[in-house]
Amino acid sequence: MNEPSNPVLLEHLFRRQAGRIVSWLTGLLGSQHLQLAEDSVQEAMLRAAQTWPFQGVPEKPEAWLFRVAHNHAISALRRSSRFEDNAGELIAALEATTKCIEDVEVEQSLRDDELRMIFICCHPELAQDARVALSLKLVCGFSVSEIARIFMAEENTIAQRLVRAKRLIREQSLPLLMPYKAGLQDRLNSVLEVIYLMFSGGYAAHTGEELIRRDVCLEALRLGQLVASSSMTAPRVDALVALMALQAARLPARTDAAGDMVLLEEQNRSLWESELIALGFYYFDRSIAGEQISDWHVQAAIAATYAKAESAESIDWPAILEHYDQLVAMTASPVVALNRAVVVVKVHGAEAALAALAPLEGHAAMRGYHLLPAVRGRVLAELGRLAEAYAAFSAALECDCAEPERRFLQKQLESVRGRWKEPPLDKSSAQETPIPRLPSTCLLRKSKPT
Amino acid sequence: MPQYILLLRDDRQKVRGHESPEEMQKVTERYLAWRNKSFVVGGAGLVATTGRVMQKKNGSVSVTAGPFSESKEVMGGFYTIEAASFEEAVKLSADNPHVDFGTIEIREVMQK
Repeated sequence: MNEPSNPVLLEHLFRRQAGRIVSWLTGLLGSQHLQLAEDSVQEAMLRAAQTWPFQGVPEKPEAWLFRVAHNHAISALRRSSRFEDNAGELIAALEATTKCIEDVEVEQSLRDDELRMIFICCHPELAQDARVALSLKLVCGFSVSEIARIFMAEENTIAQRLVRAKRLIREQSLPLLMPYKAGLQDRLNSVLEVIYLMFSGGYAAHTGEELIRRDVCLEALRLGQLVASSSMTAPRVDALVALMALQAARLPARTDAAGDMVLLEEQNRSLWESELIALGFYYFDRSIAGEQISDWHVQAAIAATYAKAESAESIDWPAILEHYDQLVAMTASPVVALNRAVVVVKVHGAEAALAALAPLEGHAAMRGYHLLPAVRGRVLAELGRLAEAYAAFSAALECDCAEPERRFLQKQLESVRGRWKEPPLDKSSAQETPIPRLPSTCLLRKSKPT
Repeated sequence: MPQYILLLRDDRQKVRGHESPEEMQKVTERYLAWRNKSFVVGGAGLVATTGRVMQKKNGSVSVTAGPFSESKEVMGGFYTIEAASFEEAVKLSADNPHVDFGTIEIREVMQK
């Protein structure tokens, strides 16, 4: 148009402001009015989408969104004042904040609102999968359908999970107050757990949707940094942020042009994001300041050891194995033990790795988990026990797994069949193909995916 | 230079699926990019929740509410553009993002 051209909208402006406005309004209205806060945000976004295409972007878009949501909340309360006893008080509370709206960019208190929102989303009364979905919806501004896409779930499932969680918050009037002392430590652990589940959800090797997955990872990283910069922080928060930053740095190198998985050792290191690596090492150094060592610390140390190596050949495998020994002792998780076995191959050889895998067979938590037979198949193939390797890869392919991992397993299966002296099925495919190495990056997951 | 008015009507069906903040921002950015082109001279959005239709019936003016946003197609706004000919106006409007979300009616403004 004939006026100065519009400022370009900041990336993710709507989504980011959605989280901030919901947190701000809920802070003012109380958690029982969460729905009103959400509706007001939706109205503000809709009004922007209907107005800005014609009138252009207002001078202060953030303040504009805050103001519209604020006005909507007030008029909705006026309409409901006949049914709502304390509508008058709430309206007064909202009107008292009108002046602050213009300062939304500098408000420290908004960060506190966001933090309080994260802490209520991670309330122990809520189921863990609900905590993750609720945080993504309320704090990060993702929609139900986006959350469903991230977790490869049905939209209905996510919607119901959110409705139940919000009803519980409303009916129990879960307070937005921060818990004290021991309660605070427990809640902080829940928050960290949720942030990492959010991160893993984005990081998982699902097919397609790369952009939204990357967004989720970066949001989890942002929330981690938000907690790390608050008064509630602890060294384990820094460790978690370090872990996420170092892993997120590898995202661009993780898949090739065809969308197939590229293993850590084969990744083009020049694609790793140096800023995220630097951020990771910054938080890693901070995390060492404390006396306690959490499993986040050890996982971050593993990621840091990978990041430190200048090439695949210079990875310090003995150091990584040492970290895994520590992690196994701390978590007693069979998935961690499985990851450790992958590193044992590098340090002590395939025979030792096979022995390390043996105790995991028949473990209840490992049933139906594709990576156990996948790792066994790889180890057996290295020992030249091709018939057994073939059987192991076939078993892995019978489990549920994401499409890129399935293609990866299929490739391994075919290469074993190719090396086999007496191919059982197809003689024409008996040519020498390299065996792809193990997906050690995707093995860093803490627990079995649900 | 002749002026043309683009009347934008939203199709509720097509707008669906773009309700997340991120999607709404992406859609808004597409409109803004088009709006910044040199041939666009004006435009305004229309409030979707209010509207009255007036007409004279049996000698008196009747006022009825609507059309509302619930109806299948509602006018969301308009743009005014300049173009050398009607054909050019049609060409310039073809990459308006609104073709993905409803209909565009192009009318030539009558010159004095």
